[in-house]
Amino acid sequence: MSLKSLDPRVGRLHISEQEDNDKTQKGALDQFETYEAFVQVKEGKSLDHVGSVHAPNEEMAFLFAKEQYTRRGMYCNTLCIVKTENIMMSEFSDNKISVYDSVTVNPTGIITEEFEIFHMFKRGKHHRFIGTVNALNFEDAMANSKVFYPSEKPVYNVWVVNAKHMLTSDDDDRDIWDTLKEKQYREAIDYKGQDIIKAYKEKIAPD
Amino acid sequence: MNTEAIKDLLYKIADDQLILGHRNSEWTGFGPLLEEDIAFSSMAQDKVGQSWQFYKILNELGESEPDTLAFMRNAEQFHNCQLTELPNGEYDFSLIRHFLFDTAELIRFNMLSESSYEPIALLSKKIKGEVKYHTMHANIWIKQLGSATEESISRLQKSLDYAMPYALGIFEASKFEATLKQDGVFEGEVVLKTTWLAQVAGILEQTELTMPSIDQVQPLVGGRYGNHTDHLQPLLDEMSEVFQVDPSADW
Repeated sequence: MSLKSLDPRVGRLHISEQEDNDKTQKGALDQFETYEAFVQVKEGKSLDHVGSVHAPNEEMAFLFAKEQYTRRGMYCNTLCIVKTENIMMSEFSDNKISVYDSVTVNPTGIITEEFEIFHMFKRGKHHRFIGTVNALNFEDAMANSKVFYPSEKPVYNVWVVNAKHMLTSDDDDRDIWDTLKEKQYREAIDYKGQDIIKAYKEKIAPD
Repeated sequence: MNTEAIKDLLYKIADDQLILGHRNSEWTGFGPLLEEDIAFSSMAQDKVGQSWQFYKILNELGESEPDTLAFMRNAEQFHNCQLTELPNGEYDFSLIRHFLFDTAELIRFNMLSESSYEPIALLSKKIKGEVKYHTMHANIWIKQLGSATEESISRLQKSLDYAMPYALGIFEASKFEATLKQDGVFEGEVVLKTTWLAQVAGILEQTELTMPSIDQVQPLVGGRYGNHTDHLQPLLDEMSEVFQVDPSADW
């Protein structure tokens, strides 16, 4: 069966079926590596994990995440990027048991690096930025975090990121989100077609 | 203040944004990777949105409604520079055009933020952050592909050499340069071009790309006063196709 596109842009490409069949097979796993994006909507609000993007490097991940995750909504204050492989992840826990319960060591008190701590409070929900600890390594960061950021709600998973691996948007660049609240046309809810559809339905099938 | 001069300025900005916005939107669904497809499409949408806001100011100065201005004119009534109407070609050309055009546009909006004509100054202040992201996007891509592989470098260089005469057409002098400057509305295309050349060279220096010798490049002008390539009319026909079916349709 031969398909013809009604999209004039496709027509202009003059793709022949032959060409389509001849296309060389793409290699497996040829995608770019992933980066995780974190967004703080407004000053004083939490910094939350929003999703991931594929990119060849950190800077491009920032570019992509900006439009991927902050192209809608009312505001954006900060966007952070971390390469997925640079996120150290704790075990998962469940059933009101905090993952910190299995952390039994005490902080070493040796401070060599800064680590950013993210908590997940509900399975399937996004991680949320909790704070920074000074520690020796991942295990020590977990131990410090247990002491400094005790949580009433059980924490089911923790992400630990060495602060040097986090790319954060410049305060001077906040103006790239200046017009966000005017982009309501990007929300499906902005299109109030229900009245038109109702009127049309009544016209074609009056009861 | 000279209204005809202000309208002349508004028309070229609005038409540039609309035509390039439409061209860039042709990449929707065809981008080199999903994330870039979304980013490029969003920026295209920004540009169309910006054109609408400039058409609104024109409307307040007695010109037709934005939709009428966008969809009911023929090629020879458009004031966009020819660079914006050229077909997309391959992604290398689209990226180079995006880089050359948006660098100029950000400088223009920064200059116009100081304009004595308040509606232009306010709008420029409002949207320059949007265009700042567009230039971040362009610069990072150019730096990336401009120093990546032999293929990416030679493709970008070829597109850069091809686009440069058209890019210089961005700065085609207005009939009202002196008036606009005198009234404090806009400092003028010459100042804009000088800043632009320095910024473009500054980015290219960080890549393997070579800045064409500008003295040897003959600018392709005419677009500002209705002299266009054969590519514009088909673009307008396609862009206004739905509108022409029923101009009174409510969206």
